[in-house]
Amino acid sequence: MADPPLLSVRNIEVRFGGLVAVAGVSFELRAGEICALIGPNGAGKTTLFNAVSGNVVPDAGSIRFRGEEIAGLTPHEISALGGRRTFQNGGLFPELTALENVLVGLHVQVGSGFLGLLFGSSSARAEVAATERARELLWLMGIGHLAEQKAGELSGGQQRMVEIVRALATNPLLLLLDEPAVGLSPTARQQLAVVIRNLARTRNVGILLIEHAIELVMSVADRVIVLNEGRKVADAPPEEVRADRAVLEAYLGHA
Amino acid sequence: MNLRRIFWLLPIVLLPLPLWLNQYQQYVLNTALLYVPVGIGFNLVVGNLGLLAFSNVAYFGLGAYVSGVLMAQFDVPWWITLLPAALIGGAAGAIASIPALRGVRLFYLAIMTLAFGELMRWTYIRWEALTGGSMGMAVPVPNLLGWTLDTDLRRFYVFLALVVMLVAITDRLLRSRFGRAFMAIKDNEIAAAAMGIPTDRYIVLAFAWGGAVVGIGGAMFAISVGHLTPVSFDLTELLRQFAIIMVGGLGSLTGTIIGAVIVTVAPQVFISFPGFDELVFGLLIILVILFLPRGLASLLARAHPVFVERYYRG
Repeated sequence: MADPPLLSVRNIEVRFGGLVAVAGVSFELRAGEICALIGPNGAGKTTLFNAVSGNVVPDAGSIRFRGEEIAGLTPHEISALGGRRTFQNGGLFPELTALENVLVGLHVQVGSGFLGLLFGSSSARAEVAATERARELLWLMGIGHLAEQKAGELSGGQQRMVEIVRALATNPLLLLLDEPAVGLSPTARQQLAVVIRNLARTRNVGILLIEHAIELVMSVADRVIVLNEGRKVADAPPEEVRADRAVLEAYLGHA
Repeated sequence: MNLRRIFWLLPIVLLPLPLWLNQYQQYVLNTALLYVPVGIGFNLVVGNLGLLAFSNVAYFGLGAYVSGVLMAQFDVPWWITLLPAALIGGAAGAIASIPALRGVRLFYLAIMTLAFGELMRWTYIRWEALTGGSMGMAVPVPNLLGWTLDTDLRRFYVFLALVVMLVAITDRLLRSRFGRAFMAIKDNEIAAAAMGIPTDRYIVLAFAWGGAVVGIGGAMFAISVGHLTPVSFDLTELLRQFAIIMVGGLGSLTGTIIGAVIVTVAPQVFISFPGFDELVFGLLIILVILFLPRGLASLLARAHPVFVERYYRG
């Protein structure tokens, strides 16, 4: 009766030589759900992300996206299926403008063919339409005035916004956000929280979030998964994780 | 943005130019024109895709020899040889992309692809039956649908039409999702894949397309000089072609055109001092790297936004 969960991760294991980065982690994510992934540095959060986005091939386990096995697919295949991610250290294209960055995000949607592009006009129209759409989205997120600026010349917070606009321009089903709040001012963090919540609530996007900014995690996440040394040590609503003093002491470094 | 359309007036303005030039100057002008497609292909791979592949002279030589041999030995009309010259140049480009697909980058890629050009030069020397070996071969006077291209003036108009077409197509390509994908791969290959771009396929495409355009440049070279020798495709030639894109501006179509003109015309000043032309390329490259790392095109971009390279339409 129930639809399969948006994302279903089963006993994922990722090894780098002798190091076991992720040791048999399982969890599920439903559409419209916001799930935060927390844990100390080296806990395996980003590796788990990389496995889901196809940047790392897991050594064991299964990853199902809308019921379909995606472990071992390439990043561009997973992206084309509707699973998008942002990167910890800026995944923007610094030489391209903000607008062009969003357009690269729309790459699959634009769909202009090579020969059609050289000799036809319908591909050219698709290009113009995509540009209009990208501009509109930038205005909608309040950064329309930055469209013609090179991404590399924007402030950290602005870059973060461009990256999020780029990710959501494609109407993804699943969004993986790797530390989106790094380098953001407190106001920008609040804006980010609103954006994340809206995406999940109004557009039914399933969001997986790695974040060290604990107040952001507590304010947006429906569920918090705590990782330590490649293993899942907690998977509960934020208030329960917050109450779990052992988790806080051990993995967040304060009680 | 429609201001950009005024650029298409440039070729019209150029139409009467050769009438004021003597025959040698017309030949130099034709050389500048044929180096535009040669630079376009090189710049696409090095400037836009960001891969340091030095196999450009291989496609250039292949285009020239394919066109020349087909004309001399098989009586194929020149304009028809443009197609095989482009196809073989493109195939050579696709082959040259193999190390890049294996993850070879930077200096290592430069050396491996450089060897490709040298291997081709060795082939022209050894395959005497077709190429005439190191003595070279004469290229017959081309004929375009009954119109004999026996003067530099006539070739100028054919070259101009061809170059305008290739520049227009390249402009269209760069300002589409293909051009953006190349830039994205240069800036951040992992993020490009995360955007749904099959990066490997795009690397092959850029090399193959670049090789095809350079191959056409080679076919133009064949009829412009009228005599092909392997020496024309050596490392000095590679340096000249590299100077075009460095001086003009990496990743800039406007820059390629500027570079082709400067690198062809500047050595003419030293025409009476043999060997000085190489010194000129070297000096040009050094000066530009020191003072204008983004090439002469960046001066234009700074002067007016209409010269800023864009990767979208509308």
